[in-house]
Amino acid sequence: MFDPSTRVLVIDDMLTMRKIVGKACKSIGLTDIIEAKDGRDGWEKLTTSDKEVGLIVSDWNMPNCTGIELLKRVRADGKYGALPFILVTAEKEGSQVKEAILAGVSNYIVKPFDVDTFKVKVEEVYKKVTQS
Amino acid sequence: MKVDPSFFKPIVDATRKTLSIQCSVESQPGKPFMKSDPTRITKGVEIAGVIGLTSESYNGSIALCMTRPVFYSVMNGMLGEECEESIEELSDGIAELLNIIFGDAKAVLNEEGHAIQMAIPVVLVGQNLQTAAGESANSTVVLPFNTDAGEFFIEIALDKS
Repeated sequence: MFDPSTRVLVIDDMLTMRKIVGKACKSIGLTDIIEAKDGRDGWEKLTTSDKEVGLIVSDWNMPNCTGIELLKRVRADGKYGALPFILVTAEKEGSQVKEAILAGVSNYIVKPFDVDTFKVKVEEVYKKVTQS
Repeated sequence: MKVDPSFFKPIVDATRKTLSIQCSVESQPGKPFMKSDPTRITKGVEIAGVIGLTSESYNGSIALCMTRPVFYSVMNGMLGEECEESIEELSDGIAELLNIIFGDAKAVLNEEGHAIQMAIPVVLVGQNLQTAAGESANSTVVLPFNTDAGEFFIEIALDKS
């Protein structure tokens, strides 16, 4: 599992979902959490964080800059391109999952989800990171 | 307009699944009724999330309508704590729930060829809210659900596109 000191950037335009994802992170030992309210704010927080972000957990549908747009921006960036990036979304149709995979998403969590599912998805990302 | 009842099943299934997994709240669907039915009035709704819907077959909206006790029961379960915030402060929770319900139902309906698009939900907060009245009530189907904290409703208003 990720080191407990890993900084997690949680991005969602809904405060309620930021709280839920934040609690899920804490329940698996990841307590260093910063939040952003959309993709644009997320990029700002990522690039100005006083400590390196080690994991992004982002919603897909958000105003200003969506999760998939942010993912593409992160993957295209020389400094942040390999950062683990999880999309959390209510969109589970094949075309959208395919778009996320093609954009380089590390893992994909479909809402509704419980803490056990969240933990499994984060562990899968950790395995990918450590194997690469 | 008359809507094929099979359109409602994915919405009922998604509602029950979402409340169970995301909020630890079990719900039982009741018998659907028309919003215009004078014998079955949706009383005490204080918060509603409404989302626009367009498809090749229908245009309309879906509303998730809750009384205060049901909303707090659902939010307490969703956040895993006793919520002390006001209903206004927690209001984006109902929009998120509706997003999840509709996202889940949309995937099933689109597999059946409906080609549904969804918009961003809006939230209404107030006393005795009615999301449909007059003429629109004649074409609005209400799906009631029972929980330990009381009843809540999904209201579906559709017209041919």
